[in-house]
Amino acid sequence: MSDNLLEIKDLSIHFYTDDGDVAAVNGVDLTLSRGDTLGLVGETGAGKTTTALGILRLIASPPGEIVSGEILYEGEDLLRKTDKEMQKIRGGKISMIFQDPMTALNPVLRVDEQIAEVVRLHSKCSVQESLKCALEILEKVGIPSERGKDYPHQFSGGMKQRVVIAMALSCNPQLLLADEPTTALDVTIQAQVLDMMKGLKSEFGTSMILITHDLGVVAENCNKVAIMYAGQIVERGTVQDIFNNTSHPYTKGLFNSLPSHQGKSKRLKPIRGLMPDPANLPKGCSFHPRCPYADRLCFSEPAELKEISPGHFSRCHHADKGADLYFPDEEINEIAYSMGFPPSNPGNDILGKGKML
Amino acid sequence: MSNLLEVEHLKKYFKTPNGMLHAVDDITFSIHEGMTLGVVGESGCGKSTLGRVILGLSDSTDGAICFQGENITRVSSKKRKELRANMQLIFQDPYSSLNPRMCVFDLIADPLRIYKLCRNKKILQDRVFDLMDTVGLARRLAFAYPHELDGGRRQRIGIARALSLKPKFIVCDEPVSALDVSIQAQILNLLQDLQEKRKLTYIFITHDLSVVRHISDDIMVMYLGTVVEKSEAEELFEHPVHPYTKGLLSAIPVPSLEPRPQRIILQGELTSPIEPKQCCRFANRCPYVENRCRSAQPPLEEVSPGHFVSCFRAKEFDQK
Repeated sequence: MSDNLLEIKDLSIHFYTDDGDVAAVNGVDLTLSRGDTLGLVGETGAGKTTTALGILRLIASPPGEIVSGEILYEGEDLLRKTDKEMQKIRGGKISMIFQDPMTALNPVLRVDEQIAEVVRLHSKCSVQESLKCALEILEKVGIPSERGKDYPHQFSGGMKQRVVIAMALSCNPQLLLADEPTTALDVTIQAQVLDMMKGLKSEFGTSMILITHDLGVVAENCNKVAIMYAGQIVERGTVQDIFNNTSHPYTKGLFNSLPSHQGKSKRLKPIRGLMPDPANLPKGCSFHPRCPYADRLCFSEPAELKEISPGHFSRCHHADKGADLYFPDEEINEIAYSMGFPPSNPGNDILGKGKML
Repeated sequence: MSNLLEVEHLKKYFKTPNGMLHAVDDITFSIHEGMTLGVVGESGCGKSTLGRVILGLSDSTDGAICFQGENITRVSSKKRKELRANMQLIFQDPYSSLNPRMCVFDLIADPLRIYKLCRNKKILQDRVFDLMDTVGLARRLAFAYPHELDGGRRQRIGIARALSLKPKFIVCDEPVSALDVSIQAQILNLLQDLQEKRKLTYIFITHDLSVVRHISDDIMVMYLGTVVEKSEAEELFEHPVHPYTKGLLSAIPVPSLEPRPQRIILQGELTSPIEPKQCCRFANRCPYVENRCRSAQPPLEEVSPGHFVSCFRAKEFDQK
């Protein structure tokens, strides 16, 4: 058996809506080794959360459907499991931390009871034992066990997120899917929670997929990164690959959009235009309407994920040109101008979201 | 250069069943014309309330607000309407701050109609289209409704509305926190361009420290209704003095793999702003707390020219 804990092959998830078929996830390939923390990065609507829900087979159907692909967990395809088998896996072997701690908890149950419920579902133990277990795990996430008898509304946002994390960890899962676990929290609380998650991860030996849009969080917590755009992985590799040898123009654009953390820069260099409407993806490379390097090939042929160095993949026709592709930053604006795209004022129609205005 | 806005000992308390909530507690500052003051702090520190009180959207409990040398703390509603033309607000959430039943054209024309600034329809139309060009909205979107647009475009409508009366002063209340990074960068650039062209003065309220560093000339850090540190932007990031500012700066996740100094992780959470004790508001979370911090509130003192800190041990920290 390989040491790949999770292997996703060509996963596609579509939603059938009145406005047409929405291809939320389009052929995602991912592998996760034991002990890895993979950062799944992308903007709103890139398909990050849908991918995670797909792994747990939590896509509401209808309207959603996993159209194709394989999700191999320890070599077994999760898509072929029966519903009963999946129930054992959810919360037991793979668990998920949801984005919004304010709504992820049941407001009418005491928190120890909510955690104990998960424990009881996955191991044969009495109510008393499960409650004891719940209090132990609460202590681990830094909540005094006296507070187990409190209701969710009596906790602050950071504390609620700790409860959600406790619930996810209560059965020692091997894989944790953390969907923007700290986005709703203030920075100082975010630092506390991430610090705690790092400690727990090494204590339990859990592997993790950390979904986020914050590249800073990725730099500090992950060893692998996958960048998603319009339902596809556009670049993946180790953190060093992504941060120091950025290949894909979208990833490059994301870094340029961030205000510098050292010193004041005069202007930001945003990616022009908007994310395409997933119901109406552009032909060819899905990033070409916003890409400063796009040429004829990009307009007509979809790009394949190419390996540009061992373990570093990029979905770009020009990826193998490496550094030659990149123009100095000042030139990017000029090139964009010459192509008729005003880079500083990109809300205009040229790049609209298809029929979405 | 003159001060466009001066705020002195401003207080705003709210009555709650559990006692007085000190949302803004004794804040004094001023802004030069054409500058940007960044106000940073975590949720619940009173930064949005401060913005709303300055604009007169809620009444202050105590203190004075002077705009262009004129005291505007208490004014008649007629005068307030005149002032509004000069002082505008960009709201945080572009999803709930626009009337869903008005199209883009009407949303932007609304302030112009209220102030009767356009004699006829032709002039009104020209003004609205001008504004749409300024903020980067395509003219073909004039008759679209907010639900048809994404967050970035909605925020552009909010900006166009704020600009329509040619104000001198705009309070930007977290204008980019609901947007994705690539769109956030577009809006920040737009705000900076507008400031340059129109000599606008901004108060920029945000919880995102890298954004505030990018856009501000001066920064004010708030904690539970009080100012803990205030200085020129670069100075604050290079030489933070107050322990809270240090913790806050250290908590920003940095998108770079270069090694960085040991993080300071602040323990605990914000305490309640209801009936706070006469002590340093940060005392409960402060790693350097002393007895005197729990018995009196430290004054805001100048540690170096233009750099103010509210901490008893500021001098000591400043030398480190």
